[in-house]
Amino acid sequence: MATATTLRAAFKPSPYLIGSAVLFVLAFVYAIYLEVTLGHVAFNTTNYGVFWGFPIVAYDYFLLTSTGLALVASLPLAVGIRSWDPVAKRCVWLAIAALVGGVAILFLELPHPLRALWATPINLQTASPLFWKILCVGAYTIVLALLAYAFGAGRGPAEVPRILAVVLGLLALAITLIAGSVYGMLVFRPFWFGSELPVVFLIESFMGGIAFFIFFTYAVHGFVADNLSENTRRLLAGPLGIAAATAVFLHLLFVLTRTVTGLWSYGEGMEVWRYTIAQPLYWLALIGGGLVPLVVFALPSLRAQPWLQMIGAFLVALGLLASRYEFMINGQLVPPFKGSWAPPLLEYAPSQLEWVLLFVGIFLANTIYAALESWSSTRER
Amino acid sequence: MSGEHLASTTRRRFLQAAGAGSALAIAGPNAGPEGVAPGEARAQAAAATKIVKNICHQCPARCGIDVYVTNGRVHAIYGTPDHPISNGKLCPKGPLGIYVLYDPDRWKGPMRRTNPKKGRNEDPKFVPISWDEALKVVADRLNNLRDRGESHRFAILYGRGWGASCAGLLGTFGKLYGSPNVPIGHSSMCSDGSIVAKQATDGNAGYNAHDYRHTNYILMFGCGFLDAFRPYNYNMQVWGYIRGDKSPKTRVTAVDVHVNTTLAAADRALLIKPGTDGALALAIAHVILTEGLWERSFVGDFVDGVNRFKTGQTVDPTTFEEKWVKGLVEWWNIELKDRTPAWAAKVTTLRERDILATAREFGSTRPAMAIMERGAHAHSNGIYNAMAIHTLNALVGSLFAEGGLMYQMPPPYGALPANADDYLDEYAKNGPWKQYPRIDLKGHPDGYLLARNMMQDVGPNHLAGRPYKLDTILFYCTNPIWTAPNGQVWEQALQDVFVIDTSPFPSETSHFADLILPDHTYLERLQDAPTYPFEGYPLTQLRVPAVKPLYDTKYFGDTIIEIGKRIKGPMGEYYKKLESAENVIRHLAKGFEKNPGDNGVDSFEKWVEKGVWYKKPYLWRQIRGEFYEWDGKGYNRRMTPEEVKAKLLKTPSGKFEIRSGLLEANADWIAAKTGRNKANLMFPIWEEPKHPGGGDLYLVTPKQALHAEGRGHNIPMVIAHFQPIVGGRGEAFAEIHPETARQRGIKDRDWIKIRSSVGEIRVRCRYYEGVRPDTIVLPMEWGHWRAGRWSMAVPGGHSGECTVNQSDRITGQCNYYTTKVTVERA
Amino acid sequence: MTKWGMVIDLEKCTGCQACTTACAMENSRLPGESWQDVLFYHEGTYPNVKLSWLPRPCMQCENPSCVAVCPTKATYKTEDGVVLVDWDKCIGCKYCMIACPYGVRFYMDEKPVVQPDLREVFPGDGDRIWNPPYKMPDHLEDRKKGIGIQPKGVVSKCTFCYHKISKAPKGVADLDEDDPQTREYVPACVRVCPPKARYFGDLDNPNSRVNQLIADKRGVRLKEETGNKPQVYYLAGGGAPVIPGERSRGRG
Repeated sequence: MATATTLRAAFKPSPYLIGSAVLFVLAFVYAIYLEVTLGHVAFNTTNYGVFWGFPIVAYDYFLLTSTGLALVASLPLAVGIRSWDPVAKRCVWLAIAALVGGVAILFLELPHPLRALWATPINLQTASPLFWKILCVGAYTIVLALLAYAFGAGRGPAEVPRILAVVLGLLALAITLIAGSVYGMLVFRPFWFGSELPVVFLIESFMGGIAFFIFFTYAVHGFVADNLSENTRRLLAGPLGIAAATAVFLHLLFVLTRTVTGLWSYGEGMEVWRYTIAQPLYWLALIGGGLVPLVVFALPSLRAQPWLQMIGAFLVALGLLASRYEFMINGQLVPPFKGSWAPPLLEYAPSQLEWVLLFVGIFLANTIYAALESWSSTRER
Repeated sequence: MSGEHLASTTRRRFLQAAGAGSALAIAGPNAGPEGVAPGEARAQAAAATKIVKNICHQCPARCGIDVYVTNGRVHAIYGTPDHPISNGKLCPKGPLGIYVLYDPDRWKGPMRRTNPKKGRNEDPKFVPISWDEALKVVADRLNNLRDRGESHRFAILYGRGWGASCAGLLGTFGKLYGSPNVPIGHSSMCSDGSIVAKQATDGNAGYNAHDYRHTNYILMFGCGFLDAFRPYNYNMQVWGYIRGDKSPKTRVTAVDVHVNTTLAAADRALLIKPGTDGALALAIAHVILTEGLWERSFVGDFVDGVNRFKTGQTVDPTTFEEKWVKGLVEWWNIELKDRTPAWAAKVTTLRERDILATAREFGSTRPAMAIMERGAHAHSNGIYNAMAIHTLNALVGSLFAEGGLMYQMPPPYGALPANADDYLDEYAKNGPWKQYPRIDLKGHPDGYLLARNMMQDVGPNHLAGRPYKLDTILFYCTNPIWTAPNGQVWEQALQDVFVIDTSPFPSETSHFADLILPDHTYLERLQDAPTYPFEGYPLTQLRVPAVKPLYDTKYFGDTIIEIGKRIKGPMGEYYKKLESAENVIRHLAKGFEKNPGDNGVDSFEKWVEKGVWYKKPYLWRQIRGEFYEWDGKGYNRRMTPEEVKAKLLKTPSGKFEIRSGLLEANADWIAAKTGRNKANLMFPIWEEPKHPGGGDLYLVTPKQALHAEGRGHNIPMVIAHFQPIVGGRGEAFAEIHPETARQRGIKDRDWIKIRSSVGEIRVRCRYYEGVRPDTIVLPMEWGHWRAGRWSMAVPGGHSGECTVNQSDRITGQCNYYTTKVTVERA
Repeated sequence: MTKWGMVIDLEKCTGCQACTTACAMENSRLPGESWQDVLFYHEGTYPNVKLSWLPRPCMQCENPSCVAVCPTKATYKTEDGVVLVDWDKCIGCKYCMIACPYGVRFYMDEKPVVQPDLREVFPGDGDRIWNPPYKMPDHLEDRKKGIGIQPKGVVSKCTFCYHKISKAPKGVADLDEDDPQTREYVPACVRVCPPKARYFGDLDNPNSRVNQLIADKRGVRLKEETGNKPQVYYLAGGGAPVIPGERSRGRG
């Protein structure tokens, strides 16, 4: 086991790590500055109906990408597919990074994050999806930490106890499905309500995980395809690319069926679908973040091109963020009781602080990931 | 006031709260809130909560309120349970009174202006001044004017006068000091159109009292019964009863220019063209006569019982025997015979079938009453609209009847400590001031001979020096520089006059003030207030300070008495005899010794304890065409026509005068000033209203439930809930019909410009299908350019700056709802 | 066991908002924190315009979805049937607001509805969000029940004036403001209501006035399809939908 001194001596921060860390610190300081000077007023949420704003979108985005990555990692680890070992390890690093980034955003948004840590487990509100979600995320964090410890202690994926991978996978699955239920259970919010929601979340989670893996695999290698190992390149052009195409296809299927059904529905609250399809964001996410990557990953000739993989993965990641935004924000735009106090549709746009929190999450996640990759490669050396 | 005594009397009403968490313990079903809680053990743990009696200040209605005070903090206001008006209830304004007390924008003490320049954008540069200094400044000015023989140049303008210990002192002040302008009331800017029309027809110059609980039909003309009509709180209590519990349910038709809560809750809503309510009333009268629906026991009948009222045909007056009305057949012949529903439909834009149905319902339901306020009579033809509507009450016999209308009896107050007539000096009796008319030319042939006040003309007249220039104006509970139509003129007028404001709050008037003598807010005052017209029987109430004044303020009654004491000669002696407002009130209360109230109030102390003195019943009743007086057991003593004339129908003829003796006596003047026809100007006739302003849309500026006579404009909760119908949360919208808006390229929630010949304002609009397409409705509430912080922060302009200063020449009623404006996108 | 409930007679209600202001003053609420609000709707075309309104307190549901979703049990149902918030447990996640079908939960650490911001004019002491000079007596405040001025960053809601009703004599069927015995225990919105459109009593007591009114006048509850089972009933004259639908606002 490495002592702190030897570790520090061997640790060489990459420019990627330094850059991410600097940007994170800047964003974090600015976010804190806004929160301290303006207070919670700096958020654009209101009592009229948009209760959960952009930070919750970003939090769920990161968290569910993390679980997607964990699922990608856990399958080969649990089953023991050795050719996927590098994938599994990177996915674990990325899962940790995304988790930390997401939770950081949540903690900066929540008025009483620390209270959540003790009040949730001791009060046992088993009727609440959020109770289970928080509980599972807690366990998930511990399992990820154990895995990181195992990897960090020099053990390769092959040496990691399979049970750890199985538990990780189950927790990731649970978190993802519960996250879907948080919305899907709300019977009086027809835009969200539906038993298919957990499945949708699962597919999107997978999709995000794969996209993150592809993108960051290139990112950590300086976006130079030749730096990748042959094995990794083969996986990307083969099974991972196909998996990405499948996930994007299913995601698109859900988006389109939900849209068409929603537009056909006369239910109160479903009028937001007309608003939704009138937004450029919807079409950008659908085409840019869906159709284009689908074509890229579905066609073997295109899939084989590393630069297209990079772009495709990036577009999927971006499109998923847009999709989550539309899903969560638009689901709150119809005020529950209308009436003359509120407009037929509420207006919401992220505030400055809410944007900054997204970047806090992004830069923190990158910093963590870069640090873990550096640390991991240092250890291996 | 002597604080010590008050403290001891209020202490008696301390309530012990029961248990640490409890609000109040209740002594038992028969114990009022002044009862002491039972259970010593529970009382020991109590935080002392006391209930202090007061009456609300936020509209004229005077609801008794229980003010909850714990550890010196006022934290709740509820209606007084055993108070005939509030009955434990409150309107939305009532509970907010606490904020009036704790409003952080209040004046903290008397102030003196140091910047001689005045204007919207001039900082007055107020500096604190002691009360002694401030009162001396006023007294020196007044003494000086009197010495120079110019005492007429001092005016006191007052808005909401409450009772004998505030505005009630002003008439005496004017008489002793010697000014025709002390005081000038605001009634012409309120609803004098109604008062003068009633004076012209039934001889009572007052608002009606009403017996709503027993009526089966109410026909409402432009009075916002469930929006702002006083007593709003009681109206709603009655509404719950007559519409929810009473059998049979009372039917209601409401007439207005936009759908408000009153119209929405009524059985029938009639959206009438502004200023044409009289035409509707005439058509209803026409139907009542042609279909033989009039109340024969009150009105009289054809000698042979055969109805000769046929559309378009005159009737021989000798065939009809009038009972309690005068001039019915003449009216028919000269005016009414052609006023058919079809005709009225054209004038009012209503559907003929609705007019006919309304007339038949109203004419065939007993008891029925027709009520109206400014919506109907704040127009150039207001006197006739109002007379026509009030005549409907005569036709269905509802005057002084059960379920009808009557007039308010005053309380039996005791005499003041001194008789003012004993303190008149030679100047007061025969000084030069006697030759001057009032500044507002009220009662003057050149002005408004028959009006009761003309406050809206004080500013313009002073500016023009017509009939002269004022030297000093003291304002009490009024802010006409903002509330008067075309107040921009007042901004000019108030520049060269010494202005004293007595409001506890900053306002446009105080911005022009040279001296600020801030009043207590109402929860700090000891103040009497006889009821506003209510159910007729006498009722008077008391404000008792709930807490010591928060700041260095002084009750207006005491301010007047203190100024009076400082005037040279016998006048000063008179006010030394009055001593203080509390002393005045104690003398008033002596009147209860011989007349104990129904709730046992027979002294000042009991009055403080209960907050109200009242004595039921109303003493007179008209039953099937005969008048009776209460004899202690019932309405048993039949009255002679002479008694009826002296006490009830106070017209020259002692009857309800459709042919108005008052107007007839002044026919020459009316004809000369208005060009009206001397042959018919004394009858309720139809006359096209004159709409100044030069635009194409009527600007109507009603009050909202939370408007509170403008006293709520700085209350954040008022701002947050102001205009629920169109979602005015945080601002007041102009209601505009969508088609009217689209024709002008205006989108929902756009900023618009409203312009008339006198000014232009910017406000935001909301599309509303419930407003007439030819009308724009903008609540008169905000657009304050000097007031509290919250009030100033509300966006949008003030309707008064577009409202032309036009008045009904007979009633003096300011025509608030008659200006025509142009509207375009801002 | 007592189960407090309310009946609101829409045929008597005049839409005056006295309930709203009385609640705000009794409970020291901020503008916009409308524990009790009145919603207005207009439908139709000139001159036949239907204007209607709906007073909306917390429904104090039998199956409160807000209670179910709260991850820390900060929001809970009392034995006598009232949904309260323990401000010491609330983490401010707002899932209860998302999950409330009736829109009656409030998070006030946000932009003020009315300027200037009262929270700056009357700044709170300690962690409280503000401190109006007229706030309710200190001894009535209870953070564990969400009564009084809330700390920053928590959700607040109508308590049925729990500081009043919880002191009512045991076993009483109705809390009626016209009865001197019960007047002080009546929720502010009920007590103030001028047309007496509100009634408050024990839904578990067969003899209560509220049960009688629900039976005689065909009381209905809002959004029955959610399964929340409100303890606030509306009298709408029978048959009429209580909340105007899409027609009231026009599409979009």
